[in-house]
This record gives sequence, C-alpha cells and structure tokens, in this order.
Amino acid sequence: MHAQSEKLEPREFSALLRGETETFAAWSGHWNTRRLASRLAIIVIGAGLYGAAMGWWRAPQQGVYVAAKFPLIILLTTLGNALINGMLAPLLGLNIPFRQSFSAIVMSHAITAAILGAFSPLIGFVIWNAPAMTTGMAGASTYSLILLIHVAVIALAGIAGNLRLFQLLATISGSRLAASRVLFAWLAGNLFLGSQLSWILRPFIGSPDLPVQFYREGALHGNFYEAVFHALQRILTLN
Amino acid sequence: MNENNPVPPQIPSAEAAQRLAEKITTPPPTPPLSGPRPLGDDPAERVAIPHAFAAIEALLRHPRRLMFQLRQPGAGKLIGGMLFVALVCAAVYGVVAGTFTGGQQLWMAPVKIAAGLFISAAICLPSLYIFTCLSGSQARLAEVCGLLAGLLMLMTILLVGFAPVAWIFSQSTDTLAWMGFLHLVFWFVATLFGVRFMKSGFSHTNAKSHAGLNVWIIIFLLVALQMTTALRPIIGKADTFFPTEKKFFVGHWLDCMKVHDNNEWKTEKRD
Repeated sequence: MHAQSEKLEPREFSALLRGETETFAAWSGHWNTRRLASRLAIIVIGAGLYGAAMGWWRAPQQGVYVAAKFPLIILLTTLGNALINGMLAPLLGLNIPFRQSFSAIVMSHAITAAILGAFSPLIGFVIWNAPAMTTGMAGASTYSLILLIHVAVIALAGIAGNLRLFQLLATISGSRLAASRVLFAWLAGNLFLGSQLSWILRPFIGSPDLPVQFYREGALHGNFYEAVFHALQRILTLN
Repeated sequence: MNENNPVPPQIPSAEAAQRLAEKITTPPPTPPLSGPRPLGDDPAERVAIPHAFAAIEALLRHPRRLMFQLRQPGAGKLIGGMLFVALVCAAVYGVVAGTFTGGQQLWMAPVKIAAGLFISAAICLPSLYIFTCLSGSQARLAEVCGLLAGLLMLMTILLVGFAPVAWIFSQSTDTLAWMGFLHLVFWFVATLFGVRFMKSGFSHTNAKSHAGLNVWIIIFLLVALQMTTALRPIIGKADTFFPTEKKFFVGHWLDCMKVHDNNEWKTEKRD
C-alpha cells in the first residue's frame, strides 16, 4: 500500500475528483514531493485558466493578469494559514501531523481548481457571446449576469472541494464531529485571509471606467472588512 | 406456592433476616466516578519530555502527557522551558505586530507584548493558587505554575500561527483601530485554547468545583486587556515608551474609535 501510494499515476487526477477517501487518506499520510507538485500544478493551471476567462471580458491583458492572480490567491492563502491550520487540527480533535494537514488542504484546493479549470471553456464561451464591457444600463445588466455566473461556478467548485476535504477528514479521524470542527476552523481562516488577499489583488472582472492593472493603486491601503463595514455604514446612513 | 412449584416458601431464619435487612439499608458500593481518565494510565504519557520542542509537540498533540509530566518531581526544568518558548513566541508575534508602524515599534512591540503577558501572569498567579485551593484542588504550587506556563505557551504558539495573517493585514491596512481589533481577536482565540488546556489540567486535580477557576479566568482576561492599555501604544506611534496618561482599557478603546471615525469620514476614498 505504501509503495502504491508513493507511485504517481495519471489516474490519480480522476481519483481525486471521485473522492476516493481511502486513497486520499493513504496519500495524505505519506509526504510525496512529486504528488504535491502535481497538486500545485493543477491549482496553477485550473485556477489560471478560469482567471484568464474571467479577465478576458475587460481586455486580453486583464485576462493574463487574472490568470496569474487567481492561483496566487489560492497558494498564498494556503501558505499563510498553513501554520495555524496545522496547530488547530490536533487542538480540535484531529491528531494529524502538520504536513498531513497541509497536504489535505492542498488536495481540496486542487479539486476546486480542477473544477474551475473545467468550467473555464464555458466561461470563455459566455464571455465570447457577451457584448463588450460598457457603462450604462445595458452594460450593467450584462455585468450582473456574468458576476452571478462567476459566483455560481466558484461556489460550486468551493463546495465540492470542501465536501471532499470533509470526507477525507472524517475518514482520517473516524469522527464526523471532529472533522466538522476542523473543517469549520480551516474554512473560517481561509475565508478570512482569502478575502483580504482578493481585496489586495483586485480587480478581477475589471471595470470599463478604470484602467487595466495588475492591482489598483492603493491596494495596500485599507482592507476588505473595513470596506464592507463602510458600505454597511453608508447604507444605514442613507436609510 | 403455585401449580408449578408445590414446595412452600421457607421462612428465613433470624440471621438471614438480619443479613437481608443490612443488605437493604446499606447503600450499594459506589461505582467509580465518571471523571477524567487518570493521568499516566497510558504508557505514552509517562515518556519524559526532553526539550522545549517536545513540549510544543506534546502541548498540541498529547496535552495529557504534558499534564502528567508537570506533576512529576523535577518539573521545574520543563516549566522553565515552556516559559522560554512562550517568551520567544511572544517576541516573534510582537515583531509582526510592530511591522504595522515600523521604526522603533519593531523592538518596542515585542518587548511590551512579552512583558505584558508575563507581568499579567505573575500578577494573577497568587489568586490562581488561592482559587484552586478554595475549590478543593490537590494541585501543588509547582503544578499550578506549570498549568499557567502551559496556558502562556499555547497562547503564544497560536499567536505565532496567526502571525502570517497578521503580517498581511499589517502591510495592507492603514487603520490603527482595525489592526488593534484584529490583534485582539487573535489574542482572544489563542487565549480560549490556552484556557481550555488549563481547565483540562485542573480537572485532574480533584477540584470539587470549577467556579473559582472560571472567576480567575475572567480576572486574567481583564488584567491582560488592561495591560494592553497600560503599555500602550503597542502598535501605534508614541514619543515615550510608557503612556503619559492613565486610562482604563474600555475608555482607551472608545477614544480610539472616536479618532478612527473622525479620520475616516475626512479621508474616505472610493474605488
């Protein structure tokens, strides 16, 4: 079993998506650099392709930028939270080594990225059929439609990745309660940091009124949660 | 007597009647209390903790091993190692907190955070020992010190875990009040886990009640929060190392919020 898990096979990609938790558990138990590299490649390619499709609507250059930014956010979130996620797992009832928790999270992100990559041709097709990005009412409705499609696809990919992660954690720990606790803590941390990294690296879809940029001027002045707070403050003040 | 059993029931003798009466009046033997599993019943828990890294590993993965070792004679060295880890981790987190302002705060923040944490613990240690004794606990002072060291070590290790996230926010946020809030959230989460370890340790000391410990936890939280105000600024700029004005932490927070609101409305940017 150990020898099998060390060998890197092409069918691993499909096994990853099928959610063969016993196989997952065996993989995550043994550190394999080639396997980790393949997961990272899936993240870079899958999320990169989706990012390219997302940014293409504004301009091809924006597509290139978002193709680089999308995987970057996933990788930076994984690295930034690696330490605290590794510490929280045993404290919440899942006594796994640091590298196993890291490997499990990378695996779930690889599943998410693979789904995003699979949807990238569909998004590309939608963008190809969409009218050019313009200001005004007509442009606004198209923008809203495309935004909703992105939300739906990213939510689907995220849910699938986390569902597989939950199944893996439940298999390793033998307890659904411990798996739920750990998954919730990891999710909270990843959402918290991921939102801020997305805020720093904005724009993604882009805006017809603003130039194509890798990141906005003043990206490092302010944070996502302050922006949400001030948006709420404005709504409440207007009401 | 019935159809299936034609033999009449025998009348018990006086001796048998007395035995029966004793059986009825004497309460049944008390089953063992369903308390926590005694420390050290697993041979793995009896393995000595040779150095500080092993203590970190034990605290995160096998806290019972650490609790058992804290009860053994000569636990002073282990406690010293734990306090050293807590000191280093507090300093590391302090440097990250200091990057928000930079300059002199890069050394002031680690000094203030580490000193604040240790002074809070030292101030609260006597009351902790008194409360544990009042609750009927059999813990010795050394064991109480060990559990407090465990609380500090777990808190600071978790803070180091949060450090990369704190650093990203420090580099991308301008608002002092927001960063202060974020550090408090991280501190609170870390303290929750530390307190959980401590309570778990006290459950093995035959304490009759946890009420005293719960009161002490509230005291410790209040002292630590006040320490952040007494040693301010930890993340902002200042001309002096210590503050020139004395305040309670709630008043200080309210003042920070007022300053933040005024500045925010003046300098609000839209993208």
